Amino acid sequence: MISNSRLSNITAPVQHPTTALQIDQLKLSIQGQPILHEISLSLPTSGITALIGPSGAGKSSLLHCINLLQQAWQGEITLHQKSIRQWPGGDEKLRRHIGLVAQKPTVFPTTIYRNVVFGIDGFWQRRNAHAIAEQALRQAALWGEVKDRLHAPAASLSLGQQQRLCLARALAIKPKLLLLDEPTASLDPKSKQLIEQALSQLASHIPLLLVSHNLEQAQRLGEQVIFMCEGKVIEQADCDTFFNHPQRVESKEFLRWAVCECD
Amino acid sequence: MKWTIHPAKLLLTLVALPALLIPALALGYIVYQGGAVISWQFISTSAELSGFGASSGVFSQLAGSLLLAVGACIVATPVALGTALFYQLSNNSRLCHHLELLIYLLQAVPPIVYGLFGLILFVQIFSLGVSLIAGMLVLAMVLLPMLTLNNITSLQRIAIEQTDAARALGLTESALVLRVWLRQSRRELITGQLLAIARALSETAPILFTATVFSGVVWPDSLLSPVTTLQTHIFYLAQEGNHPQSIDVAWGSALVLVITIVLFSLLARALKPSGGNL
Ligand SMILES: Nc1ncnc2c1ncn2[C@@H]1O[C@H](COP(=O)(O)OP(=O)(O)OP(=O)(O)O)[C@@H](O)[C@H]1O
Ligand SMILES: [Mg+2]
Repeated sequence: MISNSRLSNITAPVQHPTTALQIDQLKLSIQGQPILHEISLSLPTSGITALIGPSGAGKSSLLHCINLLQQAWQGEITLHQKSIRQWPGGDEKLRRHIGLVAQKPTVFPTTIYRNVVFGIDGFWQRRNAHAIAEQALRQAALWGEVKDRLHAPAASLSLGQQQRLCLARALAIKPKLLLLDEPTASLDPKSKQLIEQALSQLASHIPLLLVSHNLEQAQRLGEQVIFMCEGKVIEQADCDTFFNHPQRVESKEFLRWAVCECD
Repeated sequence: MKWTIHPAKLLLTLVALPALLIPALALGYIVYQGGAVISWQFISTSAELSGFGASSGVFSQLAGSLLLAVGACIVATPVALGTALFYQLSNNSRLCHHLELLIYLLQAVPPIVYGLFGLILFVQIFSLGVSLIAGMLVLAMVLLPMLTLNNITSLQRIAIEQTDAARALGLTESALVLRVWLRQSRRELITGQLLAIARALSETAPILFTATVFSGVVWPDSLLSPVTTLQTHIFYLAQEGNHPQSIDVAWGSALVLVITIVLFSLLARALKPSGGNL
């Protein structure tokens, strides 16, 4: 039997000018505990890639590796053909190109407005901070609810509103790649729909990596699907192929019974 | 309601009650003895009586104590905060482990040893003499371990998600420190500094032979002149005062000192962010 790592080697797409993010042989261990095993995958320059897999598969850990919040990995990650380890200007400059909406909504203990503009940097951007904030809040489907209380504490928002605030905050830095860790987890159907529309629009010019536990959402939004389990990428395929004709046994089982047993 | 005596509760009460009662009695006695002595004039004047160092007012002693304590805290703060920030930024490295060990070691050094060290280093080698600045430096060394640990704890209370969120937005380390860490822990940090001042006010050994003289000083002219303090005043009066009034003045000074320390502790308590226990 061929091991998974060998297989993912073979299926790993070659570097391509239309590739925005390329991950090769990514390995991560925390305190001797292997978390990610030889992950290889790639993201095109636009469109939504859905990252699915059971709880504990390592999805959040993978996102943290991509923006170097997690540094203890081995392997290679390139963004627009440049290795992120040697990013000109350092980690901070890299992170200015990568927006992250974390799984747990985390607002800073200040006003709503200041939260949105927290990451805005540079002379021109700061002068236009108000316009950028409004645009970001509109994209995150939050503007209508907060436009009259921009200077109220962010902690006074509901959990779903806080989650949208985190999205707005990530959008305000104008990322060239957006990492979303279950951004619609605590939202009602209405705002979920608004967010999904906003994400689809964004995806027309930047790549989005969207972690979702909601398979319908993944199918609805994703052009590509990456299925992870126990720290390994089991399958990367375009959306229709994955949901209609999954190649791997594990994928089939996951789609049918939402379980995954791989070793 | 039926009265039941729980054996465990009874035992705890028997242990805890005397342990709290005895210090409470001591405090009560200081208030009783000192209360008879202190007046506004006692606190606000520094006239010396003829005789063995028994002044009728303790203003210069109070001022000396406060100058030393606040000065020591000002000297110690940048070092403590800098160390705490360094510790937090290089989290989990081996260096941190050693640093922590060093801080605990320093905390185990008795204050009188710092006093001796200060006498040799600051007073003699650096020839600062018995002076305010020498006392501040020695007291700062005494405060440093507790202040550093306190600052580290304050910074560690910031949720890791806050740090991650700020880093994810591309904040530089210095922006992270200023805009997230110091901002979010500022009240706890100030609480720590106030407690350090209270602690410095209750130290006597380190300043005994580095900063204070027994009498003859009303107000220090510069950082290089000696001071008198409440702590050492009480010490001298109780030990060597032969003026009939001196023991009363000692009680009065003790009460002024206790009140000053309590004020700093209460201020610290009031500033502490809510939700904290003790
Ligand atoms: N800091 C850490 N220390 C130790 N183990 C960790 C740490 N972070 C993550 N892990 C482990 O890594 C594995 C993957 O975690 P991760 O959070 O990436 O999963 P996930 O796919 O995002 O799950 P979920 O869908 O529940 O969010 C888990 O087994 C977790 O216990
Ligand atoms: Mg997760």
